[in-house]
Amino acid sequence: MNFLETLLNGLSSGSTYAMIALGYTMVYGIAKMLNFAHGDVIMVGGYTLYVTAVTMGWNPLLALLMAIICCAVLGVTIEKLAYKPLRGASPLAVLITAIGMSYLLQSVAQIIFGSADRMVRLFELGKISIGSFQISAYTVVTLVCSAVIMTALTLFVKYTRIGRAMIAVSEDRDAAQLMGINVNFIITITFAIGSALAAFAGFFMVLKSPPVNSTLGAMPGIKAFTAAVIGGIGSIPGAMLGGILMGIVESVAQTNAVIAPFTVAIEFSILIVILLVRPSGILGKKRREKV
Amino acid sequence: MSKLKNIKWKHYLIYVVLIAVTCYFGFFGLQKNLNRITTILLEKAAIAMILAVSLNLVVGFLGELSLGHAGFMCVGAFLGAKAAVALTASMGPGNELLVLLICLLVGGAAAAVCGVIIGLPALRLRGDYLAIVTLAFGEIVRSLFENLPDEMFGGSLGLTAIRFERHYLFIVGFVLVIITLAVIQNLIRSKHGRAVTAIRDSEIASRATGINVTKYKLMVFTISAFFAGIAGVLFAFTQSKVQPTTFDYNYSIEILVMVVLGGMGSLPGSLISAVLITYLNEELQIILTGDLAVLRGLMYALVMILLVIYRNAPGLKAFREKWSVKNLFAKLRRHDPAHIHDDEAKWDRVPTKIMVDEVLSVDVQTKSPYDPDSQWKEDT
Amino acid sequence: MKKFLAILLAAVMVAAMFAGCGNKADNKTKNTEIVIGFSGPLTGGASVYGVAVKNSAQMAVDEINAAGGLNGYNFKLIATDDQHDATKVSTNYANLMNEGMQVSLGTVTTAPGEEFKTLAKEDNVFFLTPSASGDKIPEFDNGFQMCFADGNQGAVAADYVNNAGLTKIGVFYRSDDSYSDGIYKQFKDNLNDSIEVVETSFTEATSTDFSTQISKLKECKFIFMPIYYQPAAVFMEQAKAEIAADATYYGCDGFDGLAGQLDLATIPQEVSMLSHFDATATEGAAADFVKKYTEKFGTDTLNQFGASAYDCIYAIYGALKQLADEGKDVTPETSASDLCDMLKAKFTGGYTLAKGATGTDIKWNADGTVDKGAVKYNLK
Repeated sequence: MNFLETLLNGLSSGSTYAMIALGYTMVYGIAKMLNFAHGDVIMVGGYTLYVTAVTMGWNPLLALLMAIICCAVLGVTIEKLAYKPLRGASPLAVLITAIGMSYLLQSVAQIIFGSADRMVRLFELGKISIGSFQISAYTVVTLVCSAVIMTALTLFVKYTRIGRAMIAVSEDRDAAQLMGINVNFIITITFAIGSALAAFAGFFMVLKSPPVNSTLGAMPGIKAFTAAVIGGIGSIPGAMLGGILMGIVESVAQTNAVIAPFTVAIEFSILIVILLVRPSGILGKKRREKV
Repeated sequence: MSKLKNIKWKHYLIYVVLIAVTCYFGFFGLQKNLNRITTILLEKAAIAMILAVSLNLVVGFLGELSLGHAGFMCVGAFLGAKAAVALTASMGPGNELLVLLICLLVGGAAAAVCGVIIGLPALRLRGDYLAIVTLAFGEIVRSLFENLPDEMFGGSLGLTAIRFERHYLFIVGFVLVIITLAVIQNLIRSKHGRAVTAIRDSEIASRATGINVTKYKLMVFTISAFFAGIAGVLFAFTQSKVQPTTFDYNYSIEILVMVVLGGMGSLPGSLISAVLITYLNEELQIILTGDLAVLRGLMYALVMILLVIYRNAPGLKAFREKWSVKNLFAKLRRHDPAHIHDDEAKWDRVPTKIMVDEVLSVDVQTKSPYDPDSQWKEDT
Repeated sequence: MKKFLAILLAAVMVAAMFAGCGNKADNKTKNTEIVIGFSGPLTGGASVYGVAVKNSAQMAVDEINAAGGLNGYNFKLIATDDQHDATKVSTNYANLMNEGMQVSLGTVTTAPGEEFKTLAKEDNVFFLTPSASGDKIPEFDNGFQMCFADGNQGAVAADYVNNAGLTKIGVFYRSDDSYSDGIYKQFKDNLNDSIEVVETSFTEATSTDFSTQISKLKECKFIFMPIYYQPAAVFMEQAKAEIAADATYYGCDGFDGLAGQLDLATIPQEVSMLSHFDATATEGAAADFVKKYTEKFGTDTLNQFGASAYDCIYAIYGALKQLADEGKDVTPETSASDLCDMLKAKFTGGYTLAKGATGTDIKWNADGTVDKGAVKYNLK
């Protein structure tokens, strides 16, 4: 058991966290709300994969496309039905609604699919050999995918009209509105992108571990949010960094038999420490609150 | 006598109800003549009421979301149970009530210490971050109790607790509910309570008025945690084994549902919804079997979403005002100048809430029926 | 006014609620059948076990009733749902007692069983649990197990490893689960010191990606996995290409259900488990049980928990039958406590179930644990 291997394992699970964290960070940055239901969108993605790829026998990539569409539609619907009416209300109300939404999705999934695991086996990724060194293809694929997504998102935000509008909305919603930006549309787009990323993450999670159940996304969702906060919420590279960091911490902690049981405690303690030392996260910008 | 006349009895009705319930069931309980199902229901209701009231202090009055209430309860339950085992061993039988009292203090104090620890980062953080920190705290606590060596807190198997005599425990529980309610209600009615609600409504404004936000946030967190710890100890005494898995995230959410259903910032509401939800849980556990059991979760989720949207959505404001019971009554008694909105008329909810937008865009109404000055002008 | 209404409403509600419960001590209705009750996870993540127990026990009860019951008295089975949550047990137990439970199957899983055993002890109710395998479940004299205790499973597994001539083994267990943790601790205590152990663990929150653990276990040719089938299946699939093809996975009764979770033919490694029930048996009582169960309920919930429950009912029936034949008072009107005393004496006095789905010549030790042969069989 060498350190390199641990690092690679951490990178691979960290990239999945990073993908989820990207969704969180975008929604938080632009809609200024913590979308608790984000993790459960992953679960819906997982079940979509189950219905399309397993029961209907679609090609896995086609199924992934379907999952992305479903999740994006779901994300936008949740936003329209539950969050939009509360725009302008206290953050507490929005937060509680989001928690309720997360619960609602889990309950509905359990009513439809029951509490037993549904197995989604898509395809197997083998190993890639570089000389005598072997590396799991899964690690490479997740890492590359999350890096590509992060780069694409950064470019999208920096160089397209919609992306720049997103920055404007996140900086000052009212001013953006006055400048002729359709804030509702921008928030809708953000939710669509965030949820699509959740579907992507769901795909990779299912690829690694086939059982899908109603709480599939809950824990990874919370951990990914933690990752987004550690990296600095609202910052795209920050989410990536936080996710990877999270994966590596998890992986390293699990190699030691004594501290392995405390893995989750360690991860969350890091969050508390970071928030105490640097509340805006590693890469986050410090903002002053104004009246 | 004149002093007695000044007391508005309806303000104390909630205590009267609680005391009446305690006495009524306590009478049968002391005779060991109480149905087992009722006893369990009363115990659970007492625990739920303490939890809901103490969470309401944080959510409803301080305006911060805590998702780790079950974590505080967990700390209280384990330390209380541990103390109970140690005390019973050293003091011998016959001192049950004394042991219980000491354990309540130990568990509450331990939870309060955790409240301070969690309150500290809370001072630097805004709502969403705080929610995550408290959630993380709940998970950390559970994971610690689960994985620490068995000799300390029993590990994943749980800690063997000392069960209190079932026929009487709920009486202790109800007494604790009354104490909790009295402490929290008095706190809110006091100068400190007004400071707390002021922080909820505008932190920056209250800072500017010289309110020590740090102190008050920490204080509220500590008090809330203390009572959650007490509820935990009470819980530990109803069980023969305290297991860490009980205090999971879902438990915290269930307490939050009680607070939301009862109305954030309404203590009687929290009490009612705590009893209602406990009762529903017990009933539905028997009625809803098989796949139907999920319906309970679905129902709570829907209640939570719809209620919060209904009560908070800016778009529904006109609708809310049209149909609110309070305004209907106000309309009926509009001619009565005695019913002007003053703080005394609403003794458990302190109306410091001022919408900043409204202040900034004041339409000066010269003839408001609620404005004593305008009334006076009209008369003259 | 609004508050006043709310409080009034609360008072009415509380009164109505408790009025329905009645406040007399438990006055159960007179039984016309001999009532057997249990509490198990009929919904939720562990429902596969609870449902199996319910189905199988009902099957056994129906068979006995069809054959004339116990000297003309029929049996009746009552199942309650605890969702594998210890806090729900007290209500279930109270309801079972209200329904007139005389003999019990205890609980299906260990965590709720810890609560159940104390409650049953207080009332002196006999229980024979099919599958709550915790070491402390038969702690009191009224509790008996049909399955092997966790410690026993750990000791048997350690014994096997000690005699297999291995020098280095791997362990993969779940640290926050009492079942897994309990078996592993006993395993470790009984293992020869000369054997090198590579220990890995996971918790509920880290149960989807086992790459790190797999990398660490790579060198091991024998991996002991005292865990439930769901994470075991995930582990095996992820480790397919990583761990040597000639390695052995050795699990305990939690492996039951593995075949439904993944296609074992795709796993190159050897998979074996320690159990008292061989679902692949082609002859004998086990095969009969499998046939009957599959005809009625399909294979989804076919597992040793069900087989064990089936045997429990027959063991209780056999013991009661012997008692009745000895001229003892065994009717639907016999109190649970009297039955308990008789059954306790019977079970500790050399009573034997000659032929069951989970073994032959099943006897019980004085401490309530079962004495029968364990089968180590290869799942593939």
